Order: sequence, then structure tokens, then C-alpha cells
Amino acid sequence: MTEPTVPEPYVAESPGREAWRMYSRNRTALFGLGLLFVILAITFYGSFFYAGDAYDIVWAPHEPPMVTPEFPLGTDYLGRDIVTGMLKGGGPTMAVGAAAALITMVIGVSLGALAGFYGGWIDTALMRFTEFFQVLPALLFAMVLVTLFSPSLWTIAFAIGVVSWPQTARLTRAEFMKIKELEYVTAARAIGAKNTRIIWKVILPNAAPPLIVSAALTIGVAILFEAGLSFLGLGDPNVMSWGLMIGANRDQLLDAWWPVTFPGLAIFLTVLAVSLVGDGLNDAFNPKLRER
Amino acid sequence: MSALLEIEDLNVTFNTRYGAVTALDSVSLHVNAGETLGVVGESGCGKSITALSVMGLIPSPPGRIAGGSIRLNGEELTTASPARMRAIRGAEAAMIFQEPMTSLNPVFTVGAQIAEAIMLHQKVGADQAMRAAVALLDRVGIPSPDARARDYPHQLSGGMRQRVMIAMAVSCRPKMLIADEPTTALDVTVQAQIFDLLNEIQRDFGAAIVLITHDMGAIAEMADRVAVMYAGRVIEGATADDVLDHPQHPYARGLIDCIPNIAKGDAALREIPGVVPPLHLLGAGCAFAARCAHANNRCHTEKPKLAAHGHHPAACHAVQEGRI
Repeated sequence: MTEPTVPEPYVAESPGREAWRMYSRNRTALFGLGLLFVILAITFYGSFFYAGDAYDIVWAPHEPPMVTPEFPLGTDYLGRDIVTGMLKGGGPTMAVGAAAALITMVIGVSLGALAGFYGGWIDTALMRFTEFFQVLPALLFAMVLVTLFSPSLWTIAFAIGVVSWPQTARLTRAEFMKIKELEYVTAARAIGAKNTRIIWKVILPNAAPPLIVSAALTIGVAILFEAGLSFLGLGDPNVMSWGLMIGANRDQLLDAWWPVTFPGLAIFLTVLAVSLVGDGLNDAFNPKLRER
Repeated sequence: MSALLEIEDLNVTFNTRYGAVTALDSVSLHVNAGETLGVVGESGCGKSITALSVMGLIPSPPGRIAGGSIRLNGEELTTASPARMRAIRGAEAAMIFQEPMTSLNPVFTVGAQIAEAIMLHQKVGADQAMRAAVALLDRVGIPSPDARARDYPHQLSGGMRQRVMIAMAVSCRPKMLIADEPTTALDVTVQAQIFDLLNEIQRDFGAAIVLITHDMGAIAEMADRVAVMYAGRVIEGATADDVLDHPQHPYARGLIDCIPNIAKGDAALREIPGVVPPLHLLGAGCAFAARCAHANNRCHTEKPKLAAHGHHPAACHAVQEGRI
């Protein structure tokens, strides 16, 4: 006779844990997360091995890759080491992307939440304001802002944030308008909760999944944006970044492909990784793809 | 003795695309401490609007309290400040909603939500609030409350969730509990359990209950007194026994006739023909006239007042003229 099976004690699973379980089943999403970790690890630890200044002229210009062992990816048009540039430039590139995404989320979520929650004239006023930003050509507007405040990492992140928030605001507003009609919001009111509490502690946590996805995707867009600004010569000239390397070397592209190609590849891989993570989060949070 | 809750001549209007419509028309009700008032009527009769008015939760705009007064413990609520209303909600008057599936926040554990309700009104720490929440879950009959407090709403059944809602509603020992169709979304067997629980809670906490329902069976089981509502007006009010045994208004008679009675050998379910008229189409006469077998000219042109005639007050010309 077999022992009667004792049912497993039922353990409650938090929404975050459940989302991670769904996420970890998604192979492409895991690949994206792994790739992102590898890129972060290389740029972080790599700069300890290549301690030199990325701006130092260390060799003859336009040394092709895989010729001199000390400079495996060659040198640029001034004779600066490309590996050092890549490793030193990764951090600022990703920092600008993350900072810009943060600024985008803070502005977009705040305004979208207020507009969606209060409705009425507050909604009308905030949405007209949002449309005003939305109709401006993003790249041109960002260029104007960067030129106005002189290029630095902070002004670039700020400019990207200022031109990117309208979409986040609209998304947040739509989520808030949907969720504020739900019964648990009325129930929260019925136990005496204030509006501010309802906005931040009741509605926002429920609106979070699409916003987290949007934040992840915004990081990728912001990295591309920074590269675009640097390519146009509007990057911070004092801080090495992948975009700056491409921008500085683009005139010699036909003579030497490597100073532009390797940073370009790095941007491509980083944005790919961030986008895969974003898509994976989207799937993980989507209840329709979740098994019950 | 003055009543715990007194609603007098309450008028609530909503702005719609048909213009301002009257959702509540001179509604007067009172609830004494510790008793249960049943409010019955079909969907769209103003039962829930009455409840939301008391809680100060009428969606505004488009809704507006256009007149009348609501007094809780003698305190006027229609003119109370928003801060005062927040202090009253949850602490002195609490509400249980119809849909236990959707009235709990899906991203927090039920224990955390009850603890939150406690901390909104009482100066206690998070640990103490959580212990109180577990005790409340135990009180409303949830087995292994310690573990269930860490569950998320979607992990509980409908009946369990309604118990959680009740625990949350009584967490600050309100004197007034409004239950808006608390069992409509639940299985019949669970309904009976929830009613038993509400009765127990009422005994223990001494709270007055306003039970909003369209289920006459629930009224028979729960209510001390009954107010029948139709198209935004109270059309009959008396003790539950009087209304159930001697309904006066044709609408109240109809509602009670709708209860299937096997002893009488009912073969098919009875119904009241027609539907509640849309509020913007209410004419000068009795709102029920179009569905009423006893309606005459006067019924179509003059609104009947709620007046005692015969057994107990009913707003019906036919009853007051002794035609039925």
C-alpha cells in the first residue's frame, strides 16, 4: 500500500515572482537579458584592463584590426585605441540611455496619471500640452535643446527625455482612465483613501506592467537617440561614447571601416538586448499569454 | 430616539446627454442603530445611488446632490468637507460591494489591504495592523487566516473574497455598514453563509446594516424594515413582515409574486411585465403606471405621495383610493 500523498503546502506567489517565472520561460527574452549582462560586465570590468585614456593617441592612425596584438580592433583616424574607446564609451552610452528613460518616465507618468485620473479640464489642458510636444520633430527639437544648453551627458539625457515623454504620458493616461473605473478603486475610496494615495498606491501598481515594458523599450530608443546626436556632432565632446566614436570617424568611413563599425555593432547589440528584455517583459506581464 | 442614519428628501441629479435627469427624487429613509434596513427594487431604481450618496461617492461630475440632507449620528454629510468625509468613510460608515471578484486590488495581498484600511483610520504600526488583519480574517471565518493573509485576491474563491471585503469593511468597527448586493455574484450556498456572517457581525459589532438587494428571499432572512424603491423614489416602507405579508403598492406586490412558491404549485416563474423606464422619460404621473394593471388617468398625470393608508405607507393612488 502506498502512502497517501500529502498535498503540497500552498504557497502564495507574488505578481513579480509570477512575472519572473513567465519571463524565464521565454528563451529569446532570457537571451536578451544574458546579452545585456555580458555587455554591462564587459564595459564595467573591461575598463580595469584597459586603464588608458580613450582620448590618448597611442599608435599610428588607421591601424587595421587584428594586425598589432596590442590593438586588436585597430586605431581611429587620430591613432586612438578602439578597444579602449569601446570599453570607456559603453558606460556613458548606457547611462545616458537609462537617465533619458528615467526622465521620460518621470515626466510622462506624472502628467499622464494626473490627466487620466482627474479628467475634465485638467486632462484637456495636460493633453493639449502633450500634443504640443508630440508634434515637434523629436530629433530637431532635441538638437535645439542640446545646442541651447551646450552638449554634456546631462543635457543630452535631459533633451532626449523632454522629447520622448509624450508617448509615455498618453499610455499612462489611457491606463489610468481604464483602471479608475474599476470597482477596487471605488472600494479604496470607500475605506477613506485620499486621491494621492489612490493614484500612487492603488492605480499605479496596476498600471505598472505596460509602463515597465515601455521604460525598457525607451532605454533602447534613448541609446539610439544619443548615438544619433553624437553622429551629428552634438555629443558631449569630453566624454567618450559609442555615438561619439561613430560621429568622429564617419568622414573616413571609406578609408577605414573599423572605427565606425565596432561601436555601431556595440550599439546594435545593446539596443537588441534591451528590446528583447522589453518584449520579454511585455509577454510576462500579458495575462492572456499566462497559463492559469 | 433619533435614528443613526437619516436621509431626508434627498435629490440626486445626473447630467446626461438628455439633460439633467433625477436619479433620486425626494428619497427619505432612516436606519436605527443596530437594525437592518432592506432596500429593494429592480436594477436602475436608485438603490446603489442612495448608498453611494451616503458614502459621498457619487461620481461628480456628472452626478450631484441637488437637495435634501443625509445625517449620520446627527452630523450632516451633504455639506461635510472632503477631509471629513474621508475620515467618516471606512471608520464610521463602510461599504461592501457587489463584485468581490473586482473590488479587491489585484496586486496586493488581502492581508496588506485590510491592514491598509486599518492604518488609514487608526494610529497603529504595520505589524500591529497586520496582526489585526489576520484576527479579522479569522473572525469572518476564513480558515488558516495566517496563510490566507499572504494570498492575492485571485487565489481566493468568490465567497472568500466577499469575506475579506466584510473583514475590511468592519476593520474600524463602523456603526453603519452598507452592503450593496453583497451576494449577487455568489453561489446560492455561499449566499446563505455570507448572510449568516453579516448577521453575526451585526450582533458582535452592533452595526446597522443597509442591505441593498433585489432578492426578496434575502430581505425575508435579513431585514428588520424594508424600503421598496422604484425609479428613484421610495414607494413603500414598513417592517419586513408587513411588506412581505401585506404588500400595498402594486410594484411591491409584483416583486413578492415573483418569488417562486412551490407550495402554490407554480409551474412557471412570474414576472412584472415591462422594464423600469429610462429616467429621462419619466412623465408627470406615477413612474410605475405604464406597467400597472390598476393605473387610471390620475396615475398617469399626478405623482402619488408616500402616505399611510390602511396597512402601512405606500405611494400609490390606487391603494390610497381603496381601489386595491
